[in-house]
Amino acid sequence: MDQNSLHRVGNKALGIVHGIGLFLAMLVICLPGIWIVLSSLRPTVEIMAKPPVWIPRDLSLDAYIAMFSGVGQGGIPVLDYFRNSLIVSVTSTVIAIVIGMAGGYAFARYRFRAKSAMFLGLMLTRTVPGIALSLPLFFVFARLGIIDTHFGLILVYVALNVPFTVWLIDGFFRQVPKDLAEAAQIDGCTRWQAFWQVEFPLAGPGIASAGIFAFLTSWNEFALASQLTRSINSKTLPVGLLDYTAEFTIDWRGMCALAVVMIIPALTLTFIVQKHLVGGLTSGAVKG
Amino acid sequence: MKGWRPSPPLLLLLPAVIVLAAVVVVPLLLSLYSSFTPFRLTRPETFWVFIGARNYVAILTSRAFWVAFARTVVLLTVALNLEMVIGLGLALLVEKASRGQRVLRTIMMFPMMFSPILVGFQFKFMFNDNIGLVNNALQGLGLTDRAIPWLIDGNLAFIAILTAEIWSSTSVFAILILAGLLAMPREPVEAARVDGCTPWQTFRYVTWPFIMPFAFIAMTIRSLDVARAYDIVKIMTDGGPAGRTELVWTLVARTAYGDARMGMANAMAYFSILLSILFTVYFYRKLAAARTQIAAEW
Repeated sequence: MDQNSLHRVGNKALGIVHGIGLFLAMLVICLPGIWIVLSSLRPTVEIMAKPPVWIPRDLSLDAYIAMFSGVGQGGIPVLDYFRNSLIVSVTSTVIAIVIGMAGGYAFARYRFRAKSAMFLGLMLTRTVPGIALSLPLFFVFARLGIIDTHFGLILVYVALNVPFTVWLIDGFFRQVPKDLAEAAQIDGCTRWQAFWQVEFPLAGPGIASAGIFAFLTSWNEFALASQLTRSINSKTLPVGLLDYTAEFTIDWRGMCALAVVMIIPALTLTFIVQKHLVGGLTSGAVKG
Repeated sequence: MKGWRPSPPLLLLLPAVIVLAAVVVVPLLLSLYSSFTPFRLTRPETFWVFIGARNYVAILTSRAFWVAFARTVVLLTVALNLEMVIGLGLALLVEKASRGQRVLRTIMMFPMMFSPILVGFQFKFMFNDNIGLVNNALQGLGLTDRAIPWLIDGNLAFIAILTAEIWSSTSVFAILILAGLLAMPREPVEAARVDGCTPWQTFRYVTWPFIMPFAFIAMTIRSLDVARAYDIVKIMTDGGPAGRTELVWTLVARTAYGDARMGMANAMAYFSILLSILFTVYFYRKLAAARTQIAAEW
C-alpha cells in the first residue's frame, strides 16, 4: 500500500471512532431522560420487577390520569402546584427583566466610578447558597407573615435573578453599536426615544432569552422554596415532587410522571432561546 | 442641594441595588448577628442573648463539620475539573462532526433544563440498589451477581452524587467551549499546520489559549451556583447514611430546620458562603486575566 491509501484508511478509521464516541456521549446524555419518560408510562409492577423487564410490555397513561384526578384518587394537587409555579415564575421573571434592563444598560453604556467592583458585588450576591439565605429569610418572612405566600417567593426570586439578568443584558446591549443610538439622537430623538426605538428592538431577542433563563431558574428552584412554602397556597412543582416520597417508600411511577410535566415547559423554552443565550454569555469574551 | 441630580447610571442601578439589599444583604446581616446568639426557633427570647463567638468555636472544633466541609471542597474540585475536561472533549467531538451540528448542540443542552432536584431524583432512581437501571444493567450483563449498594455505602454514594453532578453541569462547559471553538478564527490554526505543528501542538498552543476565556466564563457561571449540589444531595441521600455523604449545605439545613438551632446553623452558613465566594472570585480573576491576554494577542 502506498502512503496515500494508508492515509485514507487511517482517516476512515478515525472517522468511525469519532462517530462511535459521539454516539456514546449523546446516549449518556439522553438516557436518564428517556428512562424517566418510559418509567412514567409503565405499571409499577413492571418497574419493580425482578429480574428486570427490559422491553416494556404494556404502556399506559394511568400515572398521568391518577395525578390529575385530584387528591382523593391517589393524586397530588398538581394543578395547584402548577399554577403556583407559573404565577411565581412569570411574575418574578418580568420584574427581574425590567430591573435587569435598567442595570444592564447602565453597565453597557455609562462609565462610572467603581464599575467593575459594582459588577462583581452584584454577582457575589448570587453566590450565596440558597440554603444559607433561607435561614434569615425564613425568620424575617415569618415575622412579616409572608411565609407561604406568592409575594414572598416572588420577592426572593427577583433578587435571585437580577444579577444574572444584568450580566446577560449588559452583554446584549454591548453588541448593539453605540453609534446607532447616537445617530438617532442627532436626528432629534431624546435618549429615552433612542433607547426604545433603536437599542431595545436590536437587543430584544437577547433580552427575551435572558428572561427565559430567569424563568427557568425560578421554575427549577428548590432550596429556598422548600423552606418558604408550606401548603397548596404557594408550593411549587419542585417542592411538590416530594409529595411522592413517603417515609420509606417512593412512588416512582408517579414521580416520573410529575417530572415529565415539569420538564416539558422547560424543554420547550430552552429550545427557543438556545442560540441567543450562548451569544449573550460569551459576548464579553472576545470583544472585551 | 438645588440643581443636583444623581447620575444616570446610579439611577438605573438603584432598583437592582435596592432589591438585592432588601432580600440578600440585610437578611445576611441579620443572620450574621444571630450567629453570635444561641438562637433557637422554638425559643424566640434566645435571639437577644449574646454569646460572642461561642458558636464559631463549637463549629471549628467539631469534627463532623470539618469532615463535611472537606467533603464539599473535594466534591466541588473533582466535579468542576471533570466537568471541564469532559465538556472540552464533548465540544471537540461536536465541532468535528460534519453533519447535524444543530441537533447535536440541542441534545447537548438537554441536561441544563433539568431542575437539580429532578437530577437528584432521577439518579436516585437509576442508582437504586434494587430496581435501578445501573444495577439492572450490570446484572443483566453478568458483570456482578449481587446488588451493589450504590446509595448506601459512603464511597459509592459519593461516586453516585458525583455522577449526577457531572451529568447535570457538563453541558454548561461543553456549550460555552463550543461557542469559543466556533468563534475562533481559522487562520492561526492553518498557519500552525503549515509551519509543521503536530495536532497536539496546534491544540495546546493555538486553540487552547483562545478557548480558555470561554472555559473560565463557564467556570464562573458554575461557581456562582455551586450550592445547587444541595438539591441533588438532599434528594439522593440527604447526607446519609449516617452522615457519610454530608455536605456543608445539608449540615446547615439539618442544624437549622431539624434541630432548630438557628444561631449555630447561621454560623455554619457563613462558612458555606465564604466557600462560594472564594470559588467565584478565583475564577472571576482567572477570567479577567484570560481576557486581557486574548486582547493582547489577537
